[in-house]
Amino acid sequence: MSSCKPLIAFSHVDVAYAHELALIDVTFTIEEPAFTVIVGPNGAGKTTLLRAALGLVKPVRGRIIVLGIDVEKDPWRVRRLVGYVPQRERLDQTMPALVRDVVLMGVSLRKPLTRRLTRRDYEKAEQALKRVGLEELWDEPFTHLSGGQQQRVLIARALAAEPKLLLLDEPLSGVDPQSQEAIVKLLSEMVKGGVGVVMVTHDLNPLIGYVDYLMLLNKRVIAFGRPSKLLEPEVLSKTYGRRVHVFRVGSTCFVLSGDSHA
Amino acid sequence: MLEYILSQIVIRALIASLLASLTSALVGSFIVLRRLSTMGAAIAHVCFAGAMVAYVTDVDPSLGALSMSLTLATAISYARSRREGQSEAILGAAIGISSAIAALALSLSREYSAVAFSYLVGDVLGVSEREIALLFTASTITLVIVALLYRGLKYSTLDPETAEAMGLRVEVYEYVLSFLAAVLLVVEMRVVGMILAQVYIVAPAASAWELAHSVEGVIAVAAVLAFISAIAGFSISLAFNLPTSATIGIVAAVIYVLSLLLSPKRRGRCLLAFLKRECRV
Repeated sequence: MSSCKPLIAFSHVDVAYAHELALIDVTFTIEEPAFTVIVGPNGAGKTTLLRAALGLVKPVRGRIIVLGIDVEKDPWRVRRLVGYVPQRERLDQTMPALVRDVVLMGVSLRKPLTRRLTRRDYEKAEQALKRVGLEELWDEPFTHLSGGQQQRVLIARALAAEPKLLLLDEPLSGVDPQSQEAIVKLLSEMVKGGVGVVMVTHDLNPLIGYVDYLMLLNKRVIAFGRPSKLLEPEVLSKTYGRRVHVFRVGSTCFVLSGDSHA
Repeated sequence: MLEYILSQIVIRALIASLLASLTSALVGSFIVLRRLSTMGAAIAHVCFAGAMVAYVTDVDPSLGALSMSLTLATAISYARSRREGQSEAILGAAIGISSAIAALALSLSREYSAVAFSYLVGDVLGVSEREIALLFTASTITLVIVALLYRGLKYSTLDPETAEAMGLRVEVYEYVLSFLAAVLLVVEMRVVGMILAQVYIVAPAASAWELAHSVEGVIAVAAVLAFISAIAGFSISLAFNLPTSATIGIVAAVIYVLSLLLSPKRRGRCLLAFLKRECRV
């Protein structure tokens, strides 16, 4: 990634839903492929920020550049380069889909839809599923999987699309600790392989030690930078609007809020 | 000679029923999976209203039905692509308003009641070769469009949010699907009637959803169930001298109820549990 083409750049962005501002004057730049995590309380605008980066909601003010492309001018080009992992809770759990249908969707959306899938496309999907350690579930119905397995399959779908940038919306929510660890390690490997990762989460604890940049968001950017500088009780308390504690045990750090959502 | 004529009538009726049921199962699978079953009913209602208004104003009823159904299909697709939540209200309003319009048109003269009845239940035994050719053309065009756009239709049905976020123009598929349903219902209404046309769109696909674990599975099972409904309903109607469309519709409804009771997705055995007085649905 060339340094003159930032991975993501928001410049004084306001986003509004029905005249209520969901994001206010959001400004930040991520230059190189990095593991960026956005945390904040419910209603902080975290999902809105991802949707704005994909051009799915239009800002009422400001400019968004993703992978060097002005999102407002060419949102479809951005979407075809980005991998997206939605909140698992928002998926329709009654939809009839096999695991392979879900993963192949990532490959399919990257080629003309009238062209047939080739053996190579199937191999790409199989490899993506293997990377999340679930290759034996290829023919299983998606809805038969546990929450953690479903989340890993959704990440495999995004991987199969070979994105330059991966946006994930609460991928650790409702996921068992083993799957959380597997997901975080995989994302970290992707960053090392040159893919930018931007993740929205409530739960910062499984990520500490892997994150390159941390954004504390509560409609406005409260703080953005290296996590070592932001994991301070005062900064986190300002983000969540209530007391947040930070405990350090050796080199490991734990964040705890009143409702344990920090 | 009479036997020959009767056999020709029966063969034509059977071909028409099978064509209508199989094509509807294909389009209906996407409609039901998208939770647009009400759209099938609403389009059928506006088709009927359009046909009745056209009839009393001395216009070709099929043109009236087509213009009304395409208008509703456009409105629904527009509302759904805007995601402002009015599509359900539009469908509800369309059913009520079109019923009122049809009633008003019919009230203008008593002689129209026979026409109205023929559009409601169709005249599958009286289907002409021209009507079969029209149904065959509509079915072939539908099949080709679905085959060409299959992956887009599938992914925009399974996970529209991610599909759009990763570059699929999901609103295009909204329009394609509702236009296909609109045209198909107009063609089928003349042959099998409005009531059976909307049963065909919804019932086999809804039954199949209870039994299959993939979109391809839903389409295949829906086609098989539509085929069984058509053959069984047709045979029963001939054996007991019952109205063909209504009998096929009832067979399709019975299959749907059975699929609900026996669905493995509902941890199955609901029927068995019911028999053991354990089912407290």
